[in-house]
Amino acid sequence: MEQFLQATIIGVSLGTQYALLALGFTLIFGILGVVNFSHGGFYMLGGYVAYACVAHAGLPYPLAVLVAILATGALGWVFELLLIERLVDDHLATLMLTLGLYLVMSTAMLEIFGPLSMDFRFPVTGALRAGPIYAPLENLVVLGVCLIAILGLWLILFRTDLGRALRALADDRSVAMAQGLRPKILFPAAFALATGLAGLTGALVTPILSLSPGVADPVLATSFLTVILGGLGSLGGAALAAFIVGIVEAYSSVYFGGSIGALVLFVLVLLLLVFRPQGLLGREIRGA
Amino acid sequence: MTLIPKSRFLGGAEIAAVLVFVAAFAVPAITKSVLIYSILNQALVGVVAAQSVWIMLRMNLLSFASPAFMAIGGYTVAIAGQYEITDVFAMTAAAFLVPALVAIPLGALVLRLRGTYFVLVTFVLSQIMQLLLFETPGLTGGSNGISGIPPATIFGTELATNRQVVLFACGIALFATIITACLTRFFRQHFAAIEENEILAESLGLVVWRYKALGFVVAAGIAGLAGYSLVTMLLTAHPSSFDSGTAVDFIAYSIIGGRSSILGPIVGTALMVYATNLFGTHGQYAQGLYGVLILVVVLALRGGIVGTVSTLLRKARGA
Repeated sequence: MEQFLQATIIGVSLGTQYALLALGFTLIFGILGVVNFSHGGFYMLGGYVAYACVAHAGLPYPLAVLVAILATGALGWVFELLLIERLVDDHLATLMLTLGLYLVMSTAMLEIFGPLSMDFRFPVTGALRAGPIYAPLENLVVLGVCLIAILGLWLILFRTDLGRALRALADDRSVAMAQGLRPKILFPAAFALATGLAGLTGALVTPILSLSPGVADPVLATSFLTVILGGLGSLGGAALAAFIVGIVEAYSSVYFGGSIGALVLFVLVLLLLVFRPQGLLGREIRGA
Repeated sequence: MTLIPKSRFLGGAEIAAVLVFVAAFAVPAITKSVLIYSILNQALVGVVAAQSVWIMLRMNLLSFASPAFMAIGGYTVAIAGQYEITDVFAMTAAAFLVPALVAIPLGALVLRLRGTYFVLVTFVLSQIMQLLLFETPGLTGGSNGISGIPPATIFGTELATNRQVVLFACGIALFATIITACLTRFFRQHFAAIEENEILAESLGLVVWRYKALGFVVAAGIAGLAGYSLVTMLLTAHPSSFDSGTAVDFIAYSIIGGRSSILGPIVGTALMVYATNLFGTHGQYAQGLYGVLILVVVLALRGGIVGTVSTLLRKARGA
């Protein structure tokens, strides 16, 4: 029972991290129709920016996280405005643009910081004990920040004019544009919002896990898995799927060990696609 | 009909592609440089894998699954080697057929998906293959892989020297190129129709899934051959050789070389493998170069190297 509760805590905490990543990924797909192969790259970049701020500029960690969000968001904005925007209706071309950007980003990080893991520690240590249950404080802090970020994203998307405009563009771009919504401003904003979320996740999670140029690939794979499971472009689906992925991963690593859990998850997703290609909460596949 | 260039009937690009690999057989006679052998061997493995990606690109499908099928082909050969089965002809057939057979049910699964979903699922497939390799130590040696694979044999003679292995790789590349050329020549119009507008092609009566399935299965077989060539070069089969990240390299070769002609993956692979070797011990930086070139090709030179050169030639001739 203790083991079960412990695994649940890990699972929920993993789930919130995955949710932040998957929400960003699915936001970009839903609104722009772009599959962002550089999403894992922005996660990695967020980690490195935060690390550089703490280790080299001597900033306090919370400020470093903020800088990481702004830096990844700004890069996303510029990248969308200058490159993606030109080919925004060509799925394969935009996919390859983001793949190209990812390769450039990871090589740049390799050049600047080298191939080894950085010594980047979370500033909060210790653990919370409630009877037999044990939860590291750092995980709880990350959990809290992630939940706040998800809530913030929800408020932006569902309670502000910006959010309404973004959702309108996702629903039907031509009608939204006929209503006077301007993709030239909103598309970069959506991209920046999503990459900023990836940067935030990177800045929060890499000090706990690890920070090296190799961290981006598994993050990208998990994001893919989560959004396929939830349904590409579906925000609710992404959040739900993220928790399923997190919890399955936590239970399987506690009870089976190794990568069996990931394997089972992958195969489940593959099978899901046969019976429900649009994912758990997805609608009909958008133009894809 | 005068607008159609002659090469469409002659298949000039295909003939040139085959000739490239026939000519490659001469390289070991010209030089004994171990470095050239090594670069050529890498290129010969890469070009076969890139052709596997290219076949799917002909139908506007971007596949990340090539390392998975390479692994199936490579491990088939490695496992057969443990039972002393090393005959080149038998193993070439096996390295092609086993991945192709696996691709039939997988194709039925993933070809229901179009465009974006297909890309994502092929990415997931190569991840699954990595995990499978690690989780089945009884069959694949798990994280140790299978080492000490006996060299391939042709009519009972072992292909043990560097020179023989390069010749072997030339043979595999030639065989793969012939299959790729035949497939894409024979179904040129069908593939082009699917590439242009799949829904329109279907509404005009083209049985789209049939050609996609055929392409997927053959592409899997070709990737299997690349796996065979790779395993023979390394004499070991290890999960890291079939990492899902390598799919990006093969995609880069095809896109940078140009997706419109079979010469694209060949030119792309040759240049990229050569460029990678220029980085020397800093080979990991080659990825950055691939990234920049992909950005350039997608934004400015849509036809890749081969497409751009042929457009320029056509213009020069017209002027």
